[in-house]
Amino acid sequence: MIQLFHVSKYYDRRPALSDVTLEIEKGEFVLLMGPSGAGKSTLLKLLIGAERPDEGQILVQGRSLSKLRPSEIPVLRRKVGIVLQDFRLLPKKTVFDNVSLPLLVQGASATEIRRKVAEALRAVGLDHKKDLFPPGLSTGEQQRICIARAIVNGPIMLLADEPTGNLDPDLTREIIELFKSINARGTTIIVATHDPHVLAQVNRRVIALDHGKVVSREQVAS
Amino acid sequence: MRRLLYLLREAVANVLTNRTTTLVAVATTAFTFACVGVFLLLYVNLRAMASSFEQDIQVMVYLQDDLTEQARTEIEQQLKLDRAIGSLTFVSKERALADFQAQFPSESRLLQGLGQNPLPASFVVTLASESRSSDAMRRWANRTQLIPGVSQVQYNQEWVEALAGIVRYLEVAAIIVGVILSAASVTIIANTIRLALYSRREEIEILSLIGASTTFIRVPYLLEGAALGLCGSALSLAILKAGFELFRHQIHSATRFLGVDALLMFFSFDMCLVLMLVGLFLGSAGSFLSLLRFGEGRA
Repeated sequence: MIQLFHVSKYYDRRPALSDVTLEIEKGEFVLLMGPSGAGKSTLLKLLIGAERPDEGQILVQGRSLSKLRPSEIPVLRRKVGIVLQDFRLLPKKTVFDNVSLPLLVQGASATEIRRKVAEALRAVGLDHKKDLFPPGLSTGEQQRICIARAIVNGPIMLLADEPTGNLDPDLTREIIELFKSINARGTTIIVATHDPHVLAQVNRRVIALDHGKVVSREQVAS
Repeated sequence: MRRLLYLLREAVANVLTNRTTTLVAVATTAFTFACVGVFLLLYVNLRAMASSFEQDIQVMVYLQDDLTEQARTEIEQQLKLDRAIGSLTFVSKERALADFQAQFPSESRLLQGLGQNPLPASFVVTLASESRSSDAMRRWANRTQLIPGVSQVQYNQEWVEALAGIVRYLEVAAIIVGVILSAASVTIIANTIRLALYSRREEIEILSLIGASTTFIRVPYLLEGAALGLCGSALSLAILKAGFELFRHQIHSATRFLGVDALLMFFSFDMCLVLMLVGLFLGSAGSFLSLLRFGEGRA
């Protein structure tokens, strides 16, 4: 589903990614491991069209991202769920409003929004908190709301950038279990992390990056 | 529908989030629009006065003294066929003398001393409305002067042209001031929107990440700019109306200008609507400029 061919990306002539070639199948759960500055976030940015590769080719569902027109990037992002370390929730909007945003930008009907938001909140176990505001929630709950927002429109893949960076080991376990259950429904998941707790719990394919290069592609039996 | 409501709600939220900035922007925009409005008001009133005076202006077509009755009738026929003429009255030599004596009884002795009536017969012409501009009047006078039997065509040319000149200068001044101050309004609104954009840049990033189109992200800010422009222009009209009524009252109170206040007029309802639409357009333009720059900054 995702293919990268000799992809390089430079910032101020310094390589953030260098000659990366890899393939991720539909329904896979992949960990992108590596220290800070290894190129994990850059790789995720390339996959959502936030950055363009300086060299090489990226295909998502057979479509080259380099050939996307600017107006097509929002369309791509509607197929991708994004979970970030700092959650990026809107503090002045309720949980319901935050989770419904991806549906709203697609022009979904009010009935559809109500149904899908309820489903997503149930999936993360927070349907009873839909009327609260993010600052009134715990860190783990905020991350789960962020995940609910990422899955609410049934994305083909879910990208998570250091999703457990702000969480303790218990909450990390909770979030990883949530990712596993989402993955079990067929959504491709790519988690960029340097957290060894995640590695210990996921037990799936690991792509290790260092200084922008793929240093290992470990296939772990699920 | 839900999307539209969301966009409207966001526009209102933008305004409420930056209340002080919004108020300052509306007040400054209103002030700049009011400055343009003063010029426009002056222009509209002077133009109306000029047009009213032009209606009153009569052109005297003096005839040669030795003209036969048939020649006079021919000139009259020719003038009656002229489309530039609205109305025409013949004033005979005797009538001209009687009018003079009635208007200047103390001077009538001077004419008696001359023995014969020195005043010429004439046609008093009121031109059709489309021929009352100073240029049209001059062209018509030059043409009529060439009719055989006409000795002179006279009207208060200098006065008409001076008034037309003032109106023209005012028109140019209103355009220049209007363009400069409109640019200032656009800049003020653009800066307000830019502040709103920066204060909500994180939200914009989130919307962009979840696949919101550029239009979806921009619409609330365009609406906010349009609303600022509309409010600014509406407030400027209120300020102008208050100032205008105060001025009219002052004029009315001063007895030596009695009656002049009745000639003064404010913008028509249609004109007010147009000015508010201009405000709306300039506000949207300010937003648009900020959004373009913001987009470039993020790219």
